[in-house]
Amino acid sequence: MTITIDGKICSCEKGEKLLAVARRNRIPIPTLCHHESLPGQASCRVCIVEVVQQGRSTVTSACVYPVEEGIQVYTNSDRIRRERGMILALLHKRAPDSRLIADMCRIYGAPELNRVSVSLPGKCILCGLCVRACAELSVGAISTVNRGVTKEIATPYHEPSAVCVGCGSCASVCPTGAIEVTETADTRTIWDKTFPLVRCARCGAPIGTREELDHAARKAGVERETLCEHCRRRSMTDVLAAAYGD
Amino acid sequence: MQAEMDQILEILHRYPPEKRHSLAILQDLQHHFNYIPREGMEALAEYLGCPLSSLYSMATFYRALSLKPKGRHIIKLCDGTACHIRGSVNLAGGITRLLGIGAGETTEDGLFSLELVNCLGSCALAPVMVVDETYYGKVTLEKLPEILAQYREGAAE
Repeated sequence: MTITIDGKICSCEKGEKLLAVARRNRIPIPTLCHHESLPGQASCRVCIVEVVQQGRSTVTSACVYPVEEGIQVYTNSDRIRRERGMILALLHKRAPDSRLIADMCRIYGAPELNRVSVSLPGKCILCGLCVRACAELSVGAISTVNRGVTKEIATPYHEPSAVCVGCGSCASVCPTGAIEVTETADTRTIWDKTFPLVRCARCGAPIGTREELDHAARKAGVERETLCEHCRRRSMTDVLAAAYGD
Repeated sequence: MQAEMDQILEILHRYPPEKRHSLAILQDLQHHFNYIPREGMEALAEYLGCPLSSLYSMATFYRALSLKPKGRHIIKLCDGTACHIRGSVNLAGGITRLLGIGAGETTEDGLFSLELVNCLGSCALAPVMVVDETYYGKVTLEKLPEILAQYREGAAE
């Protein structure tokens, strides 16, 4: 089937999400909480677009909207620019320390909000992507805590988590870089817990925390990894070279 | 300590170990202990095989659940618009003077907890206060000591 996005006719399949179709056709729609591997978060609302169907227009989040035959989509109408600007302005008030959001505010023409005060410093927009990443890829060490204006992302009882493996999945998916990770030569600290880093048995490059490697090995039912990605590939080519000769 | 753990396990085993029962179990724990002890949270996570973080998220989300011990009698003082205008703030001050606790706190003897709530839907009775299940309407500072005394005596029986 086909849909029209900003006047461009795009072919797509039933069940596809509008954002995916737009991206494939190189039509830019800004997002914050969207991640290719963890789709459907739909909490930042930055990806709103206008969908016109049978003469009726609605504003919806492109990341979770399943396409329907013949819809007309406007990603940059006056209404969208105004509403997206307001959403970004509010996110900026929520996360005043995020450079990314400040830049997006400038690019998308967000209004200055003088009547809303900044509650707390920080970069977190509470999109929950880190919580999803931890639950699905790792161990579920973090969650949203409290609600309303006191809502935050934290470990249970605000203590260093008993189960966290220090993999850093949460920090790597965070759109605003709100989760602090510090690394020294042989430790990584995240969520107030410090983990020893394991080094590659061959080249000595750090390959991850011991807990993270153990967790991955347990999950996959294999021995704990001892080599870095580079050396693993090299050792494999060595094996192949030995088997097949030069 | 062991007795508490036995009680926790008894509550957990009222339900099959499925995640959909987590809220019901948390409510039962709250009801039994007047709060949810940490041991209860940890035992429940193990029983359901779910992360402690997801239970913690739930326990901090719902007002009906508390992670700190609550008093035997829970005073809900309405601070909705109507009650606010009718002086609920003065009543909160009155309770603080009488019991020495502010909103969200519990007396040292564990008898009373004070909660400020947003609207109890009984605006005609403003300012309204609910102790346990009993509604008190058109409460004044003068009536406060009398109302609270009933629960003190009740506790002494």
